[in-house]
Amino acid sequence: MALPKRIIKETERLMAEPVPGISAVPHEDNLRYFDVSIHGPSQSPYEGGIFKLELFLPEDYPMTPPKIRFLTKIYHPNIDKLGRICLDVLKSNWSPALQIRTILLSIQALLGAPNPDDPLANDVAQRWKEDQEAAIQTAREWTKTHAMT
Amino acid sequence: MGAKVPRNFRLLEELEKGEKGLGAEACSYGLADSDDLMMTNWNGTILGPPHSAHENRIYSVNIHCDSNYPDQPPTIQFVSRINLPCVDKKTGKVDPSKLPCLAHWKRDYTMETILIELRRYMALPQHKKLPQPPEGTTF
Repeated sequence: MALPKRIIKETERLMAEPVPGISAVPHEDNLRYFDVSIHGPSQSPYEGGIFKLELFLPEDYPMTPPKIRFLTKIYHPNIDKLGRICLDVLKSNWSPALQIRTILLSIQALLGAPNPDDPLANDVAQRWKEDQEAAIQTAREWTKTHAMT
Repeated sequence: MGAKVPRNFRLLEELEKGEKGLGAEACSYGLADSDDLMMTNWNGTILGPPHSAHENRIYSVNIHCDSNYPDQPPTIQFVSRINLPCVDKKTGKVDPSKLPCLAHWKRDYTMETILIELRRYMALPQHKKLPQPPEGTTF
């Protein structure tokens, strides 16, 4: 199975010039499937946590966006219980000009700027709106419990 | 050969299809524990085929997708009691050697494939008149 040049190039660049706080390593037996980790941004409730994700480049990538989800439990209004992420660039605002690198940076930015008005996890979003301080506290506790081990 | 969809993304696809009810009418399935990041255990239901001893009955099954899914088939166990040659009379487990889609598993088969085939198996001429345990009993 030949891997498209675009994917090879992106992978090489991810390895040669990694983005600070982000790593993406392809599986040896499936070069479209990546183990990803993202460091929680500083001054966010996720600071100090290392979050594991998985990413898959579908057959028609880059015409369709990568599939990506969190494997580490996280308390965030735009991430659901199964780790699925609500992010415009992963859906309607995807463009083939975007890359794995830019998507991972967008996800890291989403951790720094939760958006409870466009929620995926409704219960979390509601709490975020009603009592932001308490929600942030829960997010910190979850980070400690699930992302610092 | 195209891109090989990894287990978890395959299960997410199946979950979304199941949630949207896009599948076959007579079968449904969903996660047993909506918090389970590994998506290992699933519940399935099969509406008994018409013109058989199963007509108007709803059968529940447990589906267990281990880390080898979908390279290997999941294990299936009936919760509702049923009398069928491919189902163990004591435990409700489906004998994979007796159901063709499990015996000759292919990676592009899904949980829905299995539920539909079980339903078809119930409706086979040699199975559809088998005496059945009382409705609503479980293994």
